[in-house]
Amino acid sequence: MNFPKKAPRRIVKWQHLVLLLTLILMVISALPNFYGDKATLNITNKLEAPKHLTEQLIPELSPQTIKQLLHEQNIQVSSVKSSADGFSIVLAKQEHLAKAKQVLIDTLPDDKVVEGAIKNDSPSWLKQLGGQPIKLGLDLSGGVLFVLDVDIERAISDKVADIALDIKSLAREQRIRALKVKQVSATSIKVDFSSTNSKSTKALFKQVLSTYPELIQQKLSAQQVSFTFTEQATTTFRQQTMAQTLKTMRGRIEELGITEAVTQKQGKNRIRIELPGVHDPEEAKRIIGATASLDFYQLAKHNNSINVKHIRNEYGQLLSLNNKVIFSGSNIKNAQAGRDEMGSPLVNLRLDALGGKKMSDFSKRNIGAPMITVFSEYYRDANNELMKKSKVISEATIQGHLSSVFSITNMKSTAAAQELALLLRAGSLAAPVTIVKQRTIAATLGDDNIDNGVKALVIGVSITLIFMALWYRALGMIANVALACNLLSLLGLMSLLPGAVLTLPGIAGLVLTVGMAVDTNVLIFERIKEEIKKGLSPLLAIERGYKNASATIFDANITTMITGIILYSIGYGPVKGFALILCLGILTSMFTGILISKAITNVVINRNDTILLGAK
Amino acid sequence: MTKFRVISFYTAIFVVLFALMGLFSKGLNFGLDFTGGYLTEFSTNQPVSLQAMNEMITLFIADDFQLSSAENGSYWTVRTPDNSASGNSWLFNFIEAQKILAGDIDKALIVTPQDAVYIGSQVGEELINQGGLALLTALVIILLYLSFRFEWRLAIGAVAALFHDVIIVLGIFAWLGLSFDLTILASILAIIGYSLNDSIIVGDRIREIMKTNKENNIDTIINSAIKTTLVRTLITSGTTLATIVAIWFFAGDSLHGFAVSLFSGILVGTFSSIAISATLPKLVGLRADYYQQKALEQEALCQLP
Repeated sequence: MNFPKKAPRRIVKWQHLVLLLTLILMVISALPNFYGDKATLNITNKLEAPKHLTEQLIPELSPQTIKQLLHEQNIQVSSVKSSADGFSIVLAKQEHLAKAKQVLIDTLPDDKVVEGAIKNDSPSWLKQLGGQPIKLGLDLSGGVLFVLDVDIERAISDKVADIALDIKSLAREQRIRALKVKQVSATSIKVDFSSTNSKSTKALFKQVLSTYPELIQQKLSAQQVSFTFTEQATTTFRQQTMAQTLKTMRGRIEELGITEAVTQKQGKNRIRIELPGVHDPEEAKRIIGATASLDFYQLAKHNNSINVKHIRNEYGQLLSLNNKVIFSGSNIKNAQAGRDEMGSPLVNLRLDALGGKKMSDFSKRNIGAPMITVFSEYYRDANNELMKKSKVISEATIQGHLSSVFSITNMKSTAAAQELALLLRAGSLAAPVTIVKQRTIAATLGDDNIDNGVKALVIGVSITLIFMALWYRALGMIANVALACNLLSLLGLMSLLPGAVLTLPGIAGLVLTVGMAVDTNVLIFERIKEEIKKGLSPLLAIERGYKNASATIFDANITTMITGIILYSIGYGPVKGFALILCLGILTSMFTGILISKAITNVVINRNDTILLGAK
Repeated sequence: MTKFRVISFYTAIFVVLFALMGLFSKGLNFGLDFTGGYLTEFSTNQPVSLQAMNEMITLFIADDFQLSSAENGSYWTVRTPDNSASGNSWLFNFIEAQKILAGDIDKALIVTPQDAVYIGSQVGEELINQGGLALLTALVIILLYLSFRFEWRLAIGAVAALFHDVIIVLGIFAWLGLSFDLTILASILAIIGYSLNDSIIVGDRIREIMKTNKENNIDTIINSAIKTTLVRTLITSGTTLATIVAIWFFAGDSLHGFAVSLFSGILVGTFSSIAISATLPKLVGLRADYYQQKALEQEALCQLP
């Protein structure tokens, strides 16, 4: 866009400059989308490889030999570059990446490391500016699949163990000594009161049953009873645990802003997660932090009592924790990093009703006592046994009587506060979760489907553009430029958002939003025609047209924006993605349809020529 | 013109009732995203293209299904509805058919079943409740905003038109038994936006004429508002429809339902902006001198002290 050096008097130049700068910014952010992705393979020497070995092998390996090697396997190579460190290969087709990697690993000597990656093909200056293309959805470019196993048996067993502990502490409160409480199976507890007086035990058992209505009491012998989880309670617990875990997983993915992920329950106790736009399972695993859970503990008063677990903090100091958790991460509704009045970093926490009550009860009795946050992760070892790894992530001191809203102060740095907030927000899982399957998945739409879709959209947009040019002549051309700017700005804005994911319906929605953006210009132009009919000179009519139509455009867009924002906040999957496109589209169409097209109109049309406007 | 509008209004009511009848009698045919179903996984001994595999298994599965691949086209995942007529036996038939083929051709496909398991919906239950609540909130906020910017009767008109459009599109999906998935739900969102847009532009013009003109007949005002915005309405609807038709014809199956939903939505949206959002306000008592009255009242208020 070249503005004439001497702009007409009524234009304020700095406004144009601001518009132009904004537009350039948007276009730069949109640019990486126009470069395709390329699949690259890097061959490097293993660091510890003995020198003489590599020297021996290098003569055999040259760009030509690599090319030939891959060609033999029907893999097309676009380029092979050799450098001091090794070779860098660019493949012609992305889907060959895994195969090519395997071929190279199999044929090359063991001292070579082969790494494959799919990278954006944009020039390095763009990458340095932080330019990122929009992530593509599962239908367009596939992603990563995880199947998680939720160990509900373990969760039930843990819960029963908790209840056993609780019975012990209840007994202590009621001064019943020498009561033997033992968990005998995953779902039942045996209580032996042979060496204690039985009068108060009756009251105790009554209390136990009222606190835990899901238990049934059975008399084993004169001196022994058992408490067992009922069949029905187990079923309900299963369902609740699965629902809760599924919800937490969805929450974690949502937290990352990824709009088009698929999270489903698979079979009885598995969860299937498909993440779009990620091609490296390891990266995806880090993203969902799948298997983490959080618990908040109190420091034990007596080091050697039975209800104590020991854990080392990051300095290697041994902490003794009271075995019963104060509350767990599943009670956390929200956590945000912030600063107090003195400017030191902290984490603000908000608990749900249950957690708030627990915290209130606890903190009332323990002002000044420390509270320990333990982060645990489950994994399966070589024997497929479920293992738990725990670490202390925060030690905080209870400063007063707290309830559902409080802060963890004493954070070392802002970064530490942010990390803790992220971990806390990620929530806790009701049951141990492990990854049982991970796999890269291909696009669900075939290449021809995608091509057809894109073709259809191009046709659709072309019809709109041609119509506008014919109907409104010069003004129509301006509208078309504005529309192009709109499309670019929208792409740019979406590229700036890290979680935005584009699917084929999403692209259709994007084109449709742009199509609807025509409306802004049509409204203005029809208004201009009306003013001309009233006998105003074209220049004045243009001025009036833009001014009068703006109020209407504003009203119409604000209402749609309200709908969009609300649906974005509650929506899921495609609905969320669509709401995002809708809202951003409204912003860009107001920007380009009113501001940009006005600026161009002012610069281009400075004669009172009616024919230019297509008005009769 | 007025007569045409009134006839259209009653037609609209009739069509909405018809759509509701479809919704209640036949119900929506919820897609896999909502219902969950069976997930079947199998592997093949050689890579097959997605399109080829799609063609192959279409012969064995009677209902809708979703196919996806991994490991360069040698590992396949098929999602079928829970109530699928072909049930889980299709994979068996498919494998048998491949075995028969194997007798004739050397390079036949060997299919190995991997997993068959029930799979839950993509949408959480909490979302359905939350979603209903949020939609209600959205409606109330829109009503409040429009009542604040316009007359409340005009706001009622716009919201009624919105209901009309959404119900009819849902009705079409119910009557035709088209699969209603998350993408269609998203397209309903676009229809809401479009419908509001159309209604507001007509409403805005009615307000403007009411403010400036000394015209006392509300019908004349509404008619002239429709006339002056008609060209705009037709152009915008026309270009948008053209885009949708292009998607409908060229984009293939994956966007078919999406195109149907948007096409009908925008068509009825354009119709309802004239038949309902411009007609209803008068029926609930919008008067031509509303803004003049309001101006007088304000003058009176100012003069009071």
